[in-house]
Amino acid sequence: MKDFFRRNGGLILIAAILLALVTAVVSTLLGGVADPLSNVVQFLTTPARNGFNAVINWTEERYNDAFEREQLKQENEELKQRLAELEEKEREYEAALQENERLRNVLELRPKERSFDELESAMVTARSASNWASTLTLSKGSAQGVEVDDCVVDQYWNLVGVVAEVGENWCTVRTLIDSATEMGALISRTGGAAILEGDLALMGEGKLKLTFLPENSQLMSGDLVTTSGRGGVFPSGIVAGHVEEVRTDASGIGQYAVIVPETDLNSLKQVFIIKDFTIVE
Amino acid sequence: MTTQDFLIKWGVYGLALLPVWFCQAFVLNRLPFLPLTPMLLPLAAVCVAVLEGAVAGAGFGLAVGALCDAVYFGTDGAMTVGVCVVGMAAGALAQYLLRQNLLGCLLCSLLSLAAMDGIRILARLFWGDWELGAMLSLAGREILLSLIFVFPVYALFLWVYRRVPKKTVL
Repeated sequence: MKDFFRRNGGLILIAAILLALVTAVVSTLLGGVADPLSNVVQFLTTPARNGFNAVINWTEERYNDAFEREQLKQENEELKQRLAELEEKEREYEAALQENERLRNVLELRPKERSFDELESAMVTARSASNWASTLTLSKGSAQGVEVDDCVVDQYWNLVGVVAEVGENWCTVRTLIDSATEMGALISRTGGAAILEGDLALMGEGKLKLTFLPENSQLMSGDLVTTSGRGGVFPSGIVAGHVEEVRTDASGIGQYAVIVPETDLNSLKQVFIIKDFTIVE
Repeated sequence: MTTQDFLIKWGVYGLALLPVWFCQAFVLNRLPFLPLTPMLLPLAAVCVAVLEGAVAGAGFGLAVGALCDAVYFGTDGAMTVGVCVVGMAAGALAQYLLRQNLLGCLLCSLLSLAAMDGIRILARLFWGDWELGAMLSLAGREILLSLIFVFPVYALFLWVYRRVPKKTVL
């Protein structure tokens, strides 16, 4: 048996175990900062990754131009209609905002403040190659001041995910549909607090779930869900998604809502990393 | 086989691994008609193991596993051991029990992918993730889809195998 093991690569296996142990220990000690091997491989492959990504994005755009023109036309019409509705709402919002400011002055309240001082623009250079996690690799890393737990949003200010691992010129973002996601959320219409959770089965459909729903909450399809900001790690008020439907959980007692992310994770090209923020409610 | 032959041989295998890696990491995970991403890198280790035997399988598996750990998120060294064991076992199976051909490769791939996903599921259960039904469903679909890709990956490495020196001296 000993000879069989030695003849068939036993020493290589021992080397693999040692290498794996070193990787695991280093990963644990560095806590979110990429281990040296990952850093070197990702650093060296960055130009190839960027180039390959550019070619694939170009191909996708040509495909969309050729085969999805009608769909885009229809989408454009719908968006024009939506824009008109939003412009009307904006006028009402301006009036409400001015009234709010006057009342705050009368009551001598501290002015509300939402500032995102340090935003870092980054390109999506790779997508998760594993079916067990939903991640994106971005083109910015520790050299640009990116840190673990920084929040990532798209150009419409929708939540994309959270930085989970940082290398020299790259970082890995765990998207909001990843099964390990867990964060506080608010239901915009009712103001109720709940928990946004990733779910392996829903991850495949590009969705996640909202659990610990407030008692007697009458959720409606389309209700917006935003980050609560409790805990201070993530800024509040970032749109995560909208309610699609409410389901009963496996125990048959509790309920959860299925949330469709507002951001389109499959077609993201550019995102913004929030490195620092100040929010006064 | 001289050291130069040895280096050329494994250099060529390494080069053949590049398109497999790029296909998995950049192409197949973006195709809208594919419901999942097939696991090509472990398949590459299995194919080389079936063709070259257990020792070479373990060595190539170690290299592929280390690459997986470097580019996949959250594996923390598990793939280095996992793919090395898979390469060693697939090589030994093909050498002593099965044949070193496509059919043997298909069977070894099935067993290897099932073992890797089985361990992944056990690990997730251990860490408190109780979505067993969802995990089994995902693993089943992933294995079935990946098995389709045994044919092109095996063809690629068979092509390399026929063009490199045969006798491996470690």
